[in-house]
Amino acid sequence: MTAEAAGSVTRERRLANLRATLARSGGAPVGPDQEPARAPFAGRRSPVLAARLAAALAADVTADEGALLVRRVVAPVEIPVDRERLARLPGHPPADAPLVCLDTETTGLATAAGTLAFLVGLARWEGTSFHQVQLLLPDHADEPALLAEIARWVTPDAWLVTYNGKGFDWPLIEARFRMAGRPAPAHAGHLDLLPFVRKVFKHRMENARLRSVETELLGVSRVGDVEGWEIPQIYLEVLRGGPIGPLAGVVIHNEKDVRSLGLLLAHVEHRYADRAARHEAPRGDLAGLARAYARDRRHGEALECLDDALAAPPPVRDPFGRTAVAPAVAREAAQEQRDAWWSPKVRPHFGGRAPGSTGWRGDLANGRGGPLGPSPSAASWDTGSNRWTDERLAAERARTLRRLGRWSEAAEAWQAAAAAGGGLGAIAWIEVAKLREHRLDDPGGALAATRAAWRLLERLRTTGRAHPRLEADLQRRGARLAARIGRRTGR
Amino acid sequence: MRTYAPASTRAVLEQLLEEPSLARGVVHHEVREARGADHGDWPSWLDPRIRGGLAKRGIERPYTHQADAIEAVHAGQDIVVVTPTASGKSLCYTVPVLQALAEDPSARALFLFPTKALGQDQVAEFGELVQDAGLEVSSACYDGDTPAPIRSAIRKAGQVVVTNPDMLHSAILPHHTKWFQLFEQLRVIVVDELHTYRGVFGSHVANVLRRLLRLCAHYGSSPVIVCCSATIGNPAELAQTLTGRPVRLIDRNGAPSGEKHLLLVDPPVMDAATGARGSALTLAQRWALPFLKAGRQTVVFGKSRVAVEIMLSNLRETLRMDLGPRSRIRGYRGGYLPTERRSIERGLRDGEVLGVVSTNALELGVDIGRLDVAVLAGYPGSIAATWQQMGRAGRRGDVSVAVLVASPAPVDQYVIHHPEFVLGGRPEEARLDPDNLHVLLAHIRAATFELPFEPGEAFGPGPADDLLAFLGEGGQIRQADDGRWYWSSENFPASEISLRSAAPENVVIIDTTPDRPRVLGEVDLFSAQVLVHQHAIYMHESTQYHVDRLEWGERKAYVHRIDADHYTYANRAVTLKPLDVFAHAPATGGTRVHGEVMVASLVTLYKKLKFVTDENVGWGPIDLPEIELQTTAYWLTAEGAAVGWRRDELDVALIGAGRAIQAVAAVLLMVDPRDLGLVSQVRSPHHEAPTIYLYEAMPGGVGLSERLFARHAELVEGAADLIRACPCDAGCPACTGPRLEPEVDGNALALRLLASLGSGAGSGASAALRRAAVA
Repeated sequence: MTAEAAGSVTRERRLANLRATLARSGGAPVGPDQEPARAPFAGRRSPVLAARLAAALAADVTADEGALLVRRVVAPVEIPVDRERLARLPGHPPADAPLVCLDTETTGLATAAGTLAFLVGLARWEGTSFHQVQLLLPDHADEPALLAEIARWVTPDAWLVTYNGKGFDWPLIEARFRMAGRPAPAHAGHLDLLPFVRKVFKHRMENARLRSVETELLGVSRVGDVEGWEIPQIYLEVLRGGPIGPLAGVVIHNEKDVRSLGLLLAHVEHRYADRAARHEAPRGDLAGLARAYARDRRHGEALECLDDALAAPPPVRDPFGRTAVAPAVAREAAQEQRDAWWSPKVRPHFGGRAPGSTGWRGDLANGRGGPLGPSPSAASWDTGSNRWTDERLAAERARTLRRLGRWSEAAEAWQAAAAAGGGLGAIAWIEVAKLREHRLDDPGGALAATRAAWRLLERLRTTGRAHPRLEADLQRRGARLAARIGRRTGR
Repeated sequence: MRTYAPASTRAVLEQLLEEPSLARGVVHHEVREARGADHGDWPSWLDPRIRGGLAKRGIERPYTHQADAIEAVHAGQDIVVVTPTASGKSLCYTVPVLQALAEDPSARALFLFPTKALGQDQVAEFGELVQDAGLEVSSACYDGDTPAPIRSAIRKAGQVVVTNPDMLHSAILPHHTKWFQLFEQLRVIVVDELHTYRGVFGSHVANVLRRLLRLCAHYGSSPVIVCCSATIGNPAELAQTLTGRPVRLIDRNGAPSGEKHLLLVDPPVMDAATGARGSALTLAQRWALPFLKAGRQTVVFGKSRVAVEIMLSNLRETLRMDLGPRSRIRGYRGGYLPTERRSIERGLRDGEVLGVVSTNALELGVDIGRLDVAVLAGYPGSIAATWQQMGRAGRRGDVSVAVLVASPAPVDQYVIHHPEFVLGGRPEEARLDPDNLHVLLAHIRAATFELPFEPGEAFGPGPADDLLAFLGEGGQIRQADDGRWYWSSENFPASEISLRSAAPENVVIIDTTPDRPRVLGEVDLFSAQVLVHQHAIYMHESTQYHVDRLEWGERKAYVHRIDADHYTYANRAVTLKPLDVFAHAPATGGTRVHGEVMVASLVTLYKKLKFVTDENVGWGPIDLPEIELQTTAYWLTAEGAAVGWRRDELDVALIGAGRAIQAVAAVLLMVDPRDLGLVSQVRSPHHEAPTIYLYEAMPGGVGLSERLFARHAELVEGAADLIRACPCDAGCPACTGPRLEPEVDGNALALRLLASLGSGAGSGASAALRRAAVA
């Protein structure tokens, strides 16, 4: 009796026994002597489903070598974008590259092999009008048609425009092409708007989701929109023969996502593409934009943004002198509020920053959110963790000047920032010392700056906020400078 | 005997054997002659740079097994290399892999090791050889410790990717589209430490390899598979079952070895009535100490962390009092930090560390060079592990000594009195069952996620259609219009499978010792009842944990680390019902059967037992619901043998014989005795006859029962042998179990029953074992 023979005989028997057990315990709908509840595979079903979907969504059915695709054309809308101006922004596509907006709806969140992109929304500009098409799979087996259509859209000279597409949508499309045994279509570039939004707008938004972008920047709010986590189930139910009604909501959701890509691009172009346009932008936006330029090593433009930011009005302050915390943190605080302070689950709190973060700080804070905890209006203030104060902007500006090689101006800027005192002041003095020592050939001045930093740190230490790493750095720096000065004078 | 002066291993051994109190315990002493090296030649096609690199590392010519393996891999043959510890197995695959890369830099190789640490060792060693050969080869570990930015570089450009089965299963295969460079050009798959892939783990890994090979076929590559194994009874069969392909066996060991003394030692009997014996730990220390004092490098193996720590502190204390080299004695076990372990390993290689007391952590292929003496405090649980641990002693040009000190446990006692079995015979066979239905279904789900199944496509021995249809009923898999089966769920099936346990539903064990609680592991529900009930002592990598509470509904057990001097043993009350008979055959006095059973298990109380002595020091209640386990079993009915028995005597005889059969089965099949459950029924409702059932304590089983069915005669013979060889009067924990009723002679009854079941029918008591030894 070979292992194989035994294996295949008992495999069937064991499966039958497992079915019997499941049937007995009510775990599965079938018993060993019943027919399976679902009809066995009986040839093509997707033409029927495709036709039903097309009818329900006001779409067409196209065929590509036997594979079907439900193709929904959205009525074009006017979204004028000046491509020359857009191209000036950091990381944005050159004026002559065709743009392809892309957003997918999938059967899961992993970009792994078993996740299917069942709905792909695509768009391109023809002149100023924004043309959208949505491609919907009626069956797993029809995927070749979808991939072929994507390959027709994404040409080698095109730029993709997505929201989180570098991390999700495009790797998933690449995986689907790889599964089909070929590479994904080559393209000239990829503008993922998520990192840009994070840099520039995150400071005034609850999160960086596209829906928040719409509310905060585009003045659009969605009503009755389907939730992202519901989408896989809705589609999979359709494949299992469930109702197709809910899928219409998914298609509308995707349509709006893709349109928002176009609108966001236009918004960014109108408001941020040149110095005059961004005149009225909040200082946080400008500081973020400076970072985006710096990432592209365009330090001159970054400096412009920072100068504008310093000229812009400072952020609104809370009348009670409390520090607002980021909304995400505030939400956690609200959850924590469910445990009353006297319950044993809550750790005792002896002042200082509340254990496990959160809540409000300052005189009026009770350390744990509490009755004075954050309210929805907290979001309208410049949030604490991203607060662009004059001091932070000054430091950022000094860094930019250093990157531009304008050493003496950089040293002056740091010196100005150092006036803020505290930990930031110490760091600023250290930067002054670095520049004076290495760039400006002024070891004496460097030593003076080192001492100034030391004094600030000493003060912090006496108030119980020691910075041992900074202190160690200063000690080394001071010793080195003193030795160098000693050598010079000794010579 | 106070010698601190260096002395030769032989001199110390001779002195020890003249010491009456030690010599009395020596049950067996055999001497293996020294043998010289058998060299082959480097193949003519070998790149001169590789040959130069090997020469730089002091390897002028390959041993015969290396030469055979290198030639075979180059010719595209799947092989399994089986040679003793430290015989240069890794060269068998590193050389052909380097050759392939020297010829074509786009080639890729995948090395699988059972643990992260072994993989990291191998990368370091491989890197040194690459450097000496002056080649440009990128090799890297891809495991849980690999930082994210490096991961994408490894995916694209890693020529040799070293990983473990868990990582392959959960991180590489489901994301194969990101690894297409690897899959398209994969030339060699190395499965090292093959012998560790047995039982549930092996059954899972066999399916992971099926998935791997399925993806290779998709990407158009057909890699050669190289397996390396420590000595086990069925290496070729294991390799074939694990990889699903016929594999050529290479076991012509060409490595040299010096003269070697093997000793089996039994602690003296303290009390003849109960059969109680002295401690194995104390005796092991007495054997190790004189060698350490004489400056001989010695490894002492203990079976648990506690045993290791006890022996370590005792040895150090004794050496301190005698002003011996106590600081050069180190401990080595699972809980130590990797850097600490590396420094001990290095110390052993360069002689800085004189002695090491270790758990089986040193049993795997960690490179520590060869030592003078190995002392095993207790039988490690399998012949293969015994050989591995004894193999740590073995100087090429000098005498070495390996001592196995038995504990009072039944398995130890059986082994120590059958030297031909443990030293002369063949080691256990490693069993696994890749077609365990629970395991198979789980991996078919994962495989469908990775790539749709074609209609009629095989997974393992046969087409998977019926299984896919079964899974389709659950809705997570669907047959699409093209007839293929597709994954149709938002879940990620690989994350639902733990390679280290069989059932889909597991209890997660959470360690609350650190500030941030961490997941320690998982156990299936059936094992959870007895392993992680409230107040249980749970052992993990030879560290002890106390179970603070078991949330049965949430499937979570909260534990914290402790050092206890006892362990817990939960009593399982089991009812068993046969479901199906796969095979049956007449046997002397009855029938032997292989089939499927339903086991209902209720655990109501646990005992606290002292380590080493197994003395009962307390008990407690357990409040858990009854659970059912569908599994495979072997059973024997005694309709003929039990004719004319008194019912109460038959009951005692069935239990006694069953316990002895269980102990022998654990030895024969290289499993923990707890993997096999025992039920005896004076009158089985199913067969209407007295029956002894041995069932596999994991859902679906892993093929153990099928082997027990085949080796029925050896079990009956071995059980009778075990009872006869036991020095106790009428039953003890070492043979037929503790005496329940003092007036009954359990041993005699069990032997009578076994005799009518066929023991002694062959040519003498241990005929079967000797047959096994010769085979």
